[in-house]
Amino acid sequence: MTLLEINDLTVNFYTEDGVVTAVDDLSYRIESGETFGVVGESGAGKSVTALSLMRLIEDPGRIESGEILFKGEDLLEMSEAEIRSVRGNEIAMIFQDAQTALNPVYSVGEQISEAIRHHLNYSDAEARDRTIQLLDRVGIPDAESRYDDYPHEFSGGMQQRAVIAMALSCDPDLLIADEPTTALDVTTEAKILDQIQDLADEFDTAVQLITHDLGVVAKICERVMVMYAGRPVEKAPVEDLYYDPKHPYTVGLMSSIPRIGDERDRLQTIPGTMPDLVDVPPGCAFHPRCPYAEESCAQKQPPLVDPETGDAATAADDRAAACLEYTGDLEGELEFEVSVEGEDPLLEEGQDAR
Amino acid sequence: MRRIYDSQALKRDDDVFTPRERDDAPEPAAMRSVPGESLSRLLVPTWLRYRALTVTVETPESSYPAGTDVPVKVTLRNTFPFPISVRTRTPRLWTWHVDGAAEASRVPESLPDEERVYTFDRGERKQFLRRWTGLFKVSETEWEPADPGEYTLGAYIDVADADGKGLAAETTVRIEPE
Repeated sequence: MTLLEINDLTVNFYTEDGVVTAVDDLSYRIESGETFGVVGESGAGKSVTALSLMRLIEDPGRIESGEILFKGEDLLEMSEAEIRSVRGNEIAMIFQDAQTALNPVYSVGEQISEAIRHHLNYSDAEARDRTIQLLDRVGIPDAESRYDDYPHEFSGGMQQRAVIAMALSCDPDLLIADEPTTALDVTTEAKILDQIQDLADEFDTAVQLITHDLGVVAKICERVMVMYAGRPVEKAPVEDLYYDPKHPYTVGLMSSIPRIGDERDRLQTIPGTMPDLVDVPPGCAFHPRCPYAEESCAQKQPPLVDPETGDAATAADDRAAACLEYTGDLEGELEFEVSVEGEDPLLEEGQDAR
Repeated sequence: MRRIYDSQALKRDDDVFTPRERDDAPEPAAMRSVPGESLSRLLVPTWLRYRALTVTVETPESSYPAGTDVPVKVTLRNTFPFPISVRTRTPRLWTWHVDGAAEASRVPESLPDEERVYTFDRGERKQFLRRWTGLFKVSETEWEPADPGEYTLGAYIDVADADGKGLAAETTVRIEPE
């Protein structure tokens, strides 16, 4: 069953420097209980997409158009009171930086139980009990005595776990994890990811995982969307994305993953940087960095199409790529090949990258 | 968490308009706590606020071969020694255009019908760099190269009749055949 469907979402920020289109004509869907990955470099629009789902875009940002259907209801049409009952209750978010997400003047336990009291109408004692259970469930040792601790008394990993506990406190149907492990070391990262995965399985929660770490995606996601300069450039089931990438940007991201045992002196990178979003290149935004770019790439923006048939993709399509190669407008060909090494390369790749 | 792009570490210093030392100078410390926006609205007549602001548009060269990017520098300046604020028609505070096509786009714009206040500190100079790729956007997904010839590059603060109020500027640039 489709839990979330986003159609033609466009978000603009009216900054002093110019109009920044942070998300441009984005469509995708998330099924109940699945883990959906959103990948891209910094500035690709991943976090703005997530904040739009929670209707947390602040001035000078505006959701210009589109619809966000959650269980069939458009979140953008809801009143502020209605969205408040959804936020934290049915859709919860794990923010990028736990230290900033937690309020320093309230104890960690109080912050978690506040959400439980508000959404689930628990009494103080019941909310406290549930909070202690949750803190214990996410691996905070001696949860009962840590309930009254303040965020600064927690380590970075514990803060992140507390934020996860807060996000899961009301059994949400959708959990948005915005780079939940970026600020953590690799061992803690692995533990936290396992925990998110276990908890999502246990509570049958759908997860939208935002990350720029392809190893993390390989490890826990089922379907993936790759974003570049505010637009989706490729959508695919995770195996297809790794074994048969269709967009040159995805290929660039894959080839920039460091691998153990690789004897190259230098890591392969994608030349250049993400464009300034107030001054996005015409045509395909990736063309200045693309090794296969032709003149037509600067004059025509490739639509998201099914790479096999060239038909326009919709939110319901699992496989789509935005490159002129698949609309027949490219004279040359995308000459890349994927070689698979090792017994379980998908797992290996995941471990290598992290 | 501070990110690398929040710092100045990645600031480019190799574009055509460098050096820009004045941009890096700290803002004047005096009058920092003055509520410039409200004072400007209450004490300075609207016509005088428009007089305070100047707009300039520059390109490093007057002609470019077809197919090359044209760098455009837009400078907005408050020439008065006190803060000034003006009300714009849309949330977009200013824009640039090529032959009247905003941001070189011939696709009709749809901007929210919502006013915003654009505030300048005393003597503040705001500088923006854009580049015209020599293409015009002709539909949501297509661009066409501009024919060789002379084009007017302009910029304006997004108030009604910006030209009449002196809040617009233009320059010309020639696109030479390859």
